[in-house]
Amino acid sequence: MRYRTSKLLALTLSGALLLSACSGGSGDSGTNADGKTTISWLNIMHTASPPTDTVLNKIEEITDVDIQFSWIPDASKEERLNTSLASGSLADIVSLTILENSSVRNALKAGVFWEVGPYLDEFPNLKGISQDMRNSASIEGKLYGIPMQKQVARNGVILRKDWLDKVGLPVPKTTAELMEVAKAFTEQDPDGNGVKDTTGFIDRSDLVFGAFKTLGSYFGTPSGWAISEDGKVTPEFESEGYIQAMDYMKELYTNGYINQDFAVTAKKDQQEGFAQGKAGIYVGALFDSKGLFNLAQGVQDDMELVMVNDITSTGNESDRAIWSTSNGVGGLLAFPKSEVKDEAELKRILKFMDDLMSEEVFTLMTYGIKDVHYSLDENNGATIIDTKLWEQEVQPFSSSRPNENGYAIVDADPLRIESTRLIEENTTFAVLNPVYSLESPTFSEQGSELQKIITDATYKYILGKTDRAGFQNAIDTWRKSGGDKIITEYEAAHQAVLNNK
Amino acid sequence: MILPGFIYFVIFKYFPMGGLIISFQDYQPYLGIKDSPWVGFKHFVRLFTEPTFAMLLSNTLILFALELVIFFPIPIILALMMNEVRHRLFRNSIQTIVYIPHFMSWVIIVSITYVFLSVDGGVVNEIIAAFGGSKISFLTSPEWLRPMYILQIIWKEAGWSTIIYLAAITVVDTQLYEAAEMDGASRLRKMWHVTLPAIRPVIITLLILKIGNTLELGFEHMYLLLNSLNREVGEIFDTYIFTAGLKNGQLSFSTTVGLFKGLVGLVLVMFANRLAKKLGEDGVY
Repeated sequence: MRYRTSKLLALTLSGALLLSACSGGSGDSGTNADGKTTISWLNIMHTASPPTDTVLNKIEEITDVDIQFSWIPDASKEERLNTSLASGSLADIVSLTILENSSVRNALKAGVFWEVGPYLDEFPNLKGISQDMRNSASIEGKLYGIPMQKQVARNGVILRKDWLDKVGLPVPKTTAELMEVAKAFTEQDPDGNGVKDTTGFIDRSDLVFGAFKTLGSYFGTPSGWAISEDGKVTPEFESEGYIQAMDYMKELYTNGYINQDFAVTAKKDQQEGFAQGKAGIYVGALFDSKGLFNLAQGVQDDMELVMVNDITSTGNESDRAIWSTSNGVGGLLAFPKSEVKDEAELKRILKFMDDLMSEEVFTLMTYGIKDVHYSLDENNGATIIDTKLWEQEVQPFSSSRPNENGYAIVDADPLRIESTRLIEENTTFAVLNPVYSLESPTFSEQGSELQKIITDATYKYILGKTDRAGFQNAIDTWRKSGGDKIITEYEAAHQAVLNNK
Repeated sequence: MILPGFIYFVIFKYFPMGGLIISFQDYQPYLGIKDSPWVGFKHFVRLFTEPTFAMLLSNTLILFALELVIFFPIPIILALMMNEVRHRLFRNSIQTIVYIPHFMSWVIIVSITYVFLSVDGGVVNEIIAAFGGSKISFLTSPEWLRPMYILQIIWKEAGWSTIIYLAAITVVDTQLYEAAEMDGASRLRKMWHVTLPAIRPVIITLLILKIGNTLELGFEHMYLLLNSLNREVGEIFDTYIFTAGLKNGQLSFSTTVGLFKGLVGLVLVMFANRLAKKLGEDGVY
């Protein structure tokens, strides 16, 4: 008996040791059997499944690196990144797309990741990252990763052109006209099936990337925060534009011009609903038009889309505006010190980053392999040959590109060309978030949680479950629970920047 | 042979309790427990002074009370009813049917609910509309959250929870039934005077265990149902710990909330146990 128990004890203990051994030491970069450098990458997945190996092999060939991806679905990125940070189970490269998140920000400030600012100029492609971009992506003046460079403002309105023709309305230029369109799409049976089963807008439960924030821009809402000339900081939800946007959404909701469940609708369901012809107005990233069009093939073959980016509430061209939350920074590709042990290793990874920004790899990550996924015309225009194949093998990479701007090769698809043009045009009218690179310890700690108070109140207002007074109450709660502190801290940080100049 | 169990409890239950220490720190994972700054009762003060605390406590208690009053008796009634079904094949098939929902995950059950209850094209609302009623936004109305929550639990768990009661019923001495029959008791009388008292200890034990899990409502279940519009009645300790701790990375604060939750559960179970003993039952310890 005694012998048996001690054996059991040994077994249990060795088991425990094994477990603890497993939890550390994964994801070390080193070399694999063929002598290639292995680089692990904790990456966000915006598609339903990770890519197959076809394109990956090509990228590995060019960069001479064996890439080990761990994919995190976009929907659970906050939990997954936070648990990875807390347990220290990171990879050589970590895609941090949620820089506003408290714990990510704290980790960055605590020095968990390498500061890369001083190294950028040693690499030809990284050198090209503009000073503005470096500044926006920095925290307290330090750059803790390679900024993912996106367009500054990509949102706008996508409408069913065939439905507009059917109800005899022009492409809307003002919010009032847009309301007219929503009304007509709801009431005049634009799909001609004799049943009143369509709505104007179709939206999802997202006040930022859904319709609300874009509509807010049309009413002159600042992006996130506003800083007045005398240095006063105010949150966007205390602006007149924010209230007008809520009223506008409320009108849509009360009249049934928007899907009544938008407050609980997922992005996927929103896009599918649009593709199935349930609604005719989609507000989101302008390049979504191509995806919506693809999705509608075989279901709504008459679908014609038109994109608008110049809607205003006043009709004056001078009032044009479109929000930019992160001022063109899509996040950071950061390198934890726990995995990337020394400077030599850091440089090896930066070299890899540099290679990723080359035209060749950009093309692979965007369009795939020539004549397999896309064909090229004489004007450097790429046409996707097989959409399904592209979606499986290439699309997942597109969200991990360090840079999306300024390459010679362009998409030859008319919807893409048009959306690229409009997004480019948006840059001129973009409303930047003035506090994006300022620091507020309270915001870092409680910001995400406090925002919930406002988000909940906004939905309640739109759905008619609270009024102006109720919304004001929510703002008061926000201010009392830490909002006032955030404002003071931002004002101080802003002042400090001014004094330094 | 107690050793493996002992080791299990030490490694997986008692050792991790040491981690509770971080509720007195501003814990930073990269610094570890050793180097994270000590902050005393800061997180407890925040918990008890934040307006969310009252909301969390009342939501949790109300849902628990509803579960106790509405859900708890249902498996007992169901077991008594199933016991009365004499046809064996019939009885077995009923059992199988009521067990099945237990094996479905909350994700599936909540998704099914969404399909049925959504305003745009949901079956229930289409029926309401067909009869000329006005559609109800079940999913975004705070007043519908609790009924929906309890009904889903009943649908999923009521059948499965009958197992223990049915097992308890099978060991009831048949002589008691025969004696009752001699005295001219009807089936209902037998149920009331023989079966029910016989399974009373089981009921009490399960009740105490249930109370021990007071604040342990289904995290996954509630998390899936929550949205901006029903949060005021739906946010409970478990969902709050998840969002504060894992989504927003406030590990110390959410540990504090969890610790508080555990303490309340402990106090309640001790109270329930003493009450059971006062009432002449055995209790669980």
